[in-house]
Amino acid sequence: MTIADSQPFIRPDGKEKVTGAGRYTADLNLTGQLYAKFRYADHSHARILSIDTAPAAALPGVFAVLTWRDVPAVLYGGYVQDRRLFAKEKVRWEGDVVAAVAARTPEIAAEAAGLIEIQYEVLPAQIDFEANAAAEAPLIHEQWAEYEADESVGLAGNILGHSSVVKGDADAAMAKAAIVVKSRYVADASQGAPIEPRAISAEWHGDKVTIWSSTQVPFAARSGVAHALDIAESQVRIIVPLLGGGFGSKCDFHFEAHIAALARATQRPVKLVFSRREEFLAPDHRREGMIIELETGTDPAGRLLARRGRLVLDKGAYCGEGGFFAQMAAMHACGPYKIDTINIDSYLNYSNSQPSGSVRAPTAPQACWALEQHMDEVATAVGIDPVELRRLNIIEEGDVGPTGQIFEAIGAKETLTAALEMIGYGQELPDDEAIGVACGWWPSFGSASGAYVKLNSDGSGTIITGAMESGTGAVMGLPLLAAQTLGMKPEDFSILYQDTDAGPWDMGSSGSQTTFNNGRAVIAAATEVRSKLLDMAAEELEAHRDDLVLAEGAVRVKGSPESHVTIAHLAGTGEPILGKGSGVVPDSPEVDASTCVGRLGLESFLAPQLMTQAVRVKIDRATGVVQVLEVAAAHDSGVIVNKIGADGQVYGGVLMGIGQALTEATVFDEEGRQRNPDLLHYKLQTASDAPEIQIRWIEIDTPNAGPNGSKGVGEPPSVPTPGAVGNAVAKLVGRHVDRLPMTAERVWNTLDAARAGTP
Amino acid sequence: MTSYLAATSLEEAVAALADGARPIAGGTDLVVGARQGKKPLPEALVGIHRIPGLNGIRDSDDGLEIGAMTSHAAVVAHPTVRNRYSGLADASALVGSHATRAQGTIGGNLMNASPAMDTGAPLLCFDSAVTLASARGTRNLSLADLWTGPGHTSAGRDELLVAVHVPAPPPSTGSAYVRLQYRRQMEIAVVGAAAVVTLSEGTVTAAAIAITALAPVIHRVAEAEARLIGGKANAAAIASAADAAAEASRPIDDVRASANYRKAMAAVVARRAIETAISRAGGAEVEIPASESTYGS
Repeated sequence: MTIADSQPFIRPDGKEKVTGAGRYTADLNLTGQLYAKFRYADHSHARILSIDTAPAAALPGVFAVLTWRDVPAVLYGGYVQDRRLFAKEKVRWEGDVVAAVAARTPEIAAEAAGLIEIQYEVLPAQIDFEANAAAEAPLIHEQWAEYEADESVGLAGNILGHSSVVKGDADAAMAKAAIVVKSRYVADASQGAPIEPRAISAEWHGDKVTIWSSTQVPFAARSGVAHALDIAESQVRIIVPLLGGGFGSKCDFHFEAHIAALARATQRPVKLVFSRREEFLAPDHRREGMIIELETGTDPAGRLLARRGRLVLDKGAYCGEGGFFAQMAAMHACGPYKIDTINIDSYLNYSNSQPSGSVRAPTAPQACWALEQHMDEVATAVGIDPVELRRLNIIEEGDVGPTGQIFEAIGAKETLTAALEMIGYGQELPDDEAIGVACGWWPSFGSASGAYVKLNSDGSGTIITGAMESGTGAVMGLPLLAAQTLGMKPEDFSILYQDTDAGPWDMGSSGSQTTFNNGRAVIAAATEVRSKLLDMAAEELEAHRDDLVLAEGAVRVKGSPESHVTIAHLAGTGEPILGKGSGVVPDSPEVDASTCVGRLGLESFLAPQLMTQAVRVKIDRATGVVQVLEVAAAHDSGVIVNKIGADGQVYGGVLMGIGQALTEATVFDEEGRQRNPDLLHYKLQTASDAPEIQIRWIEIDTPNAGPNGSKGVGEPPSVPTPGAVGNAVAKLVGRHVDRLPMTAERVWNTLDAARAGTP
Repeated sequence: MTSYLAATSLEEAVAALADGARPIAGGTDLVVGARQGKKPLPEALVGIHRIPGLNGIRDSDDGLEIGAMTSHAAVVAHPTVRNRYSGLADASALVGSHATRAQGTIGGNLMNASPAMDTGAPLLCFDSAVTLASARGTRNLSLADLWTGPGHTSAGRDELLVAVHVPAPPPSTGSAYVRLQYRRQMEIAVVGAAAVVTLSEGTVTAAAIAITALAPVIHRVAEAEARLIGGKANAAAIASAADAAAEASRPIDDVRASANYRKAMAAVVARRAIETAISRAGGAEVEIPASESTYGS
């Protein structure tokens, strides 16, 4: 199936969401519920000398005040287990939770949280994440050597992770290169900024707890609660009402266990709803700040002979699920290009600021922004058009990747051609406009996933899945795949989802992989239903199974259309018709990465998604204000399952990319405190800022991919946008803006420096 | 908050104010500020939206009388405001977002006394005055005498702003408000400037220039005005006046911009405001808000 023969399927959850009828976690109220409030760290880095909860506990209306003393002494985290529910010896960033209060009203809870007396020995806030790697830098985690950690990560003091990509002898190749270009770029931290601030309610029944949470990953949240409270996973049920966006920032286990602990202590349901300010400050999840140093050597024609690089990423205070960032960033410093030799080192350093975690294509937009601007600098040095440099070096089928992966059919070059054609590359433009181009890539993630499909007695179907709908439409699109398998209409299916007691385990809404993995599972489950229907129909119609087809809600005998039985009839007989499935996870491509360190599985890119975006921007040279007028986005995401849904991901991803390019940054003071934790000063793009966005899908029939040859869609659209904007701005400014976001003031300063000729 | 009264007469409202209540109009500052934790809601609130006569624009040969409850959206939509008081229309069109403009009021904007408010600079340049009412009676106050510092006014706590009076400008007067912004909605002025210019055969006979988000209060810049009045409205005079506006600024460093950038942008924004006011004075049609159409000039 390709776009041409698919019907647009409007997501069934759309109407309730846009009309306000939909119910989100914060809308839920339980009889007798109490309200939770956290007491956060008063300093970004300090030793805790004492905590006195008595003044808070004495406040009328307070039911419980919890600290580390009240929960199991358990550390948690992804690749490195370095965090407690409640800070014990130290606080390591301003959002560290020291205590939690449950009270009769949110106001009493807030007052009580403020009454908790904490004595600290204040330590210097170490927010310079690059400097933290120095041998003499004080340790942020003194006990790091005792932490449970994946050996491949490379935890050592303030360096949480170190990865390298090493291919051939880059030093020797660089020495012989005709042209060598060096660049240094720095990206600020930014946020996922979902419009729904997170909310959690927890209620115990006996020794079992039900938790309603605005999470993107209910099964990971369940594991986190069980681990942190030292109970069995079977005692924990996570239900997610409608989710109001996440963009990655609601991945990982966050605050579910705190609220469950409060509910257990008080024997009452407890509800937490974040303010907007808390939504910025408290989650251990923001897009990481990054220093990107790149050096490229080419032959006189521009063929890439050598790439050296050094990346330093700001991990913030704790690992969370972001322990893989060093390797992911290193792969994005290579990019979708043929490069003979490579030597890139990538470091993920602790600091006393908010922990970074997966936000829509973690590490990629910043690394791609730096690499793609660097590529334009290389093109200038070679003396060719930036587009020619890309055409010369972009990967094609049969090419060898940075770690020896041999690429199967991919449409990288086709995306480049399509984006240029859509934007009208080479056209005459006014002198305050320019077009910039950037290419990017992103892996597909193979994971176990499962689903059930059952038919109801009226002939409708229900998909029971562990997959999570964070707003991307991926779960909402699953009925398309079931319908296609069963000869039914997608509208015939309801979906039971976002309940860990219902669907099978799923990795959640992360990694753009819901269609890729859960789509496969739904097809497998529907195939089992199909088989059962064929058996029943064969008996009913006294026909051979092989002579039967499923179409338009009925099973028919090939060649005799009047001989048929409807699916509704078969489903109404009382015999259960159920299917279950998971399908086979595609294998990751083989690589030769023996020369690389910090291998966490990202050295090979399964079913890589390729994209080129071209943007036309306009600059106001007097102010440095840049406006994006037009974006052409060409993507190889394999075969597209539902174009209307896929297009939506590009519109949103591009707008998010423009925000990252121009206006979105979390600004910290010297103490590591956020200076702009609100939606006025953290400047997301608005609908009024949206440019015209043209989209073209390059539908390569991808081997070793998801259902029907599909890949992923959710994350890639935000990857190349900042780089394309950067390259357009550089053409207008006369040099590259080396700080992300490229704010008006930074553009204006760069214009000034370019005019003055200062470095 | 412990009490809320929806007053149905001015007398009722000012009596409540005399008892310590604080007024609420659109709530776009008060409620948003409370939810952000900036300032809790006052103990007692008096709603003024049901008081007859506070909402609407009275347009006469003498000028405008704008009721305190008039929304920004209503100000922008008013044909006379757009034609004769275009600078005020520019400003009202830029305040916050669509929702803020539908809900927020001109009275609230002025009494908030933010140095970054949009409607302040054009109203100041039009020599506007406000009427303050209290249980003690009413008084008129020139707008220039209203603001005393960021968030502070010379109005007593028992006084309610009920109307804004904008004198009619002479013929051949043009006005504009221009601000630097990083996005097109939900924005606050990084720097802003308003200009009201009267021309007679190419010569400037009157000029008023005020700067926004560049000092603790929005204020006029006499030196900038002096550099225009009596001379030809040419590029050199405009640039000189704009430089004077920038020189008079005392910007701060904050998360929106550095002081250095703000000072430089003051000259750019003032120049654009003056240029736009002059071209409107000459009869040219310039889009509202002017910030969009002066972009890139």
